[in-house]
Amino acid sequence: MSILEYNGAAIIAMTGKECVAIASDTRLGAQAQTVSCDFRKVFKIDDKLFVGLAGLATDVTTLENTLKFRRSLYELREERSMTPKVFSNVLSNLLYEKRFGPYFIEPIVAGLDDTNKPFLSGMDLIGAPVYTDDFVVSGTATANMYGMCETLYQKDMEPEELFETISQALLASVDRDALSGWGAEVHIITKEGVTSRQLKGRMD
Amino acid sequence: MARRYDSSTTTFSPEGRLHQVEYAIEAINNAGTCVGILAKNGVVMACEKKVTSSLLAPTKTSEKTYKLCDHAACTVAGLTADANILIDQARLRAGRYQYQYVEPIPMEQLVEHVCNYKQAYTQYGGLRPFGVSFLFAGYDTHYGFQLYQSDPSGNYSGWKATVVGANNQAGKSLLKTEYGVTSNKEETKEEMKTNDMKGDDVVEMPDLEGALELAVKVLNKTMDATATSSDKMELFSLTLDDKGECVHKILTADETQKVIDKVEAKAAAAATES
Repeated sequence: MSILEYNGAAIIAMTGKECVAIASDTRLGAQAQTVSCDFRKVFKIDDKLFVGLAGLATDVTTLENTLKFRRSLYELREERSMTPKVFSNVLSNLLYEKRFGPYFIEPIVAGLDDTNKPFLSGMDLIGAPVYTDDFVVSGTATANMYGMCETLYQKDMEPEELFETISQALLASVDRDALSGWGAEVHIITKEGVTSRQLKGRMD
Repeated sequence: MARRYDSSTTTFSPEGRLHQVEYAIEAINNAGTCVGILAKNGVVMACEKKVTSSLLAPTKTSEKTYKLCDHAACTVAGLTADANILIDQARLRAGRYQYQYVEPIPMEQLVEHVCNYKQAYTQYGGLRPFGVSFLFAGYDTHYGFQLYQSDPSGNYSGWKATVVGANNQAGKSLLKTEYGVTSNKEETKEEMKTNDMKGDDVVEMPDLEGALELAVKVLNKTMDATATSSDKMELFSLTLDDKGECVHKILTADETQKVIDKVEAKAAAAATES
């Protein structure tokens, strides 16, 4: 058993036309046993910056607090918001600092930069980043999610279509994975604001 | 005679004084004045801006007012360079508390931390004290809105209204007469001769506009300038919005001018009456 698969998670982020979407399941398990169906894994860092943390639940909570602290200090000192690219680098640096005793997290950063251009990045547990302009996935059902995204994704989708696409991709992926599912939530980030929705899926 | 005992912070004088600390407090009496006033629904801080050259190209919003965390801010009187160190300390402390307890730091704890840091420079290390006095304004769920003052010795206290910096005595005396309203004035006048005044005065806190006007009035008194203008003063307010979150606001030049105009109008009206 891999420690990254202990609690279970499934997170996808996708870009659209001047928007990004980030979606996750909400299961918290202890291996086979499901403990909670409303465990949050995607966090708002700023109005147009979200981070999704897949992996060991205790590290999810710790990193959430650490990232909020780092962002708060940056904003107080620099008197401006952290751009998604900078935030992604902060996160990467944070993870590499623990190179020989890492956080068991494979995060995803999704946001809009100051010109409202979509930004996506994904990372492994020691901070190696990947920047794409289509989609990133993380968690215990990555094989399923890659398949679904590759098939369903199209460039420049409008927010409503993006919502449908990311939701279908997530739901179909987690249904074939024992460790993820049990509820899902989606956040669509546009320059006007964020729309967050709960998905109704199979609770098994 | 004090000469022998005033160059080191870590030595008491024969009279039991720490001269270096006292000299540090003196340094602040030449700095731009800061007024802090507690209102019913917020805290107001007003500062005299000493550096107003048109050649200035500032990168930070203010040289006097600093945000410490979501629910606290401070104004500086004294050496700005020293203040920067302490402000960073305060920000780190607030962030670490939030990280550890997942709760906002209570105001007094934040103030006490900064003050303990200042105190260390009056007792150890042979380093000089920080030449800064702060006015801390903040909100917490334990005691609501609060105002604190701290000085280079590391001493702090909570206030309903106070002044630091140049001419603070004049400012404080004005606040004593003008801040709040003592209720039951007529009854207490006779009682004063026979009963103990056990603090039966009810001090009524002003509302936000009243506090802003009072702050401007105090600054008018402490600033030597003959005409007060909005570019020489900076008004700050901390209030709660309807979601219960703190709003930090530095008033714009127009808004500041409006308050100044109101104060001048009231002063003119009072002058014509008497």
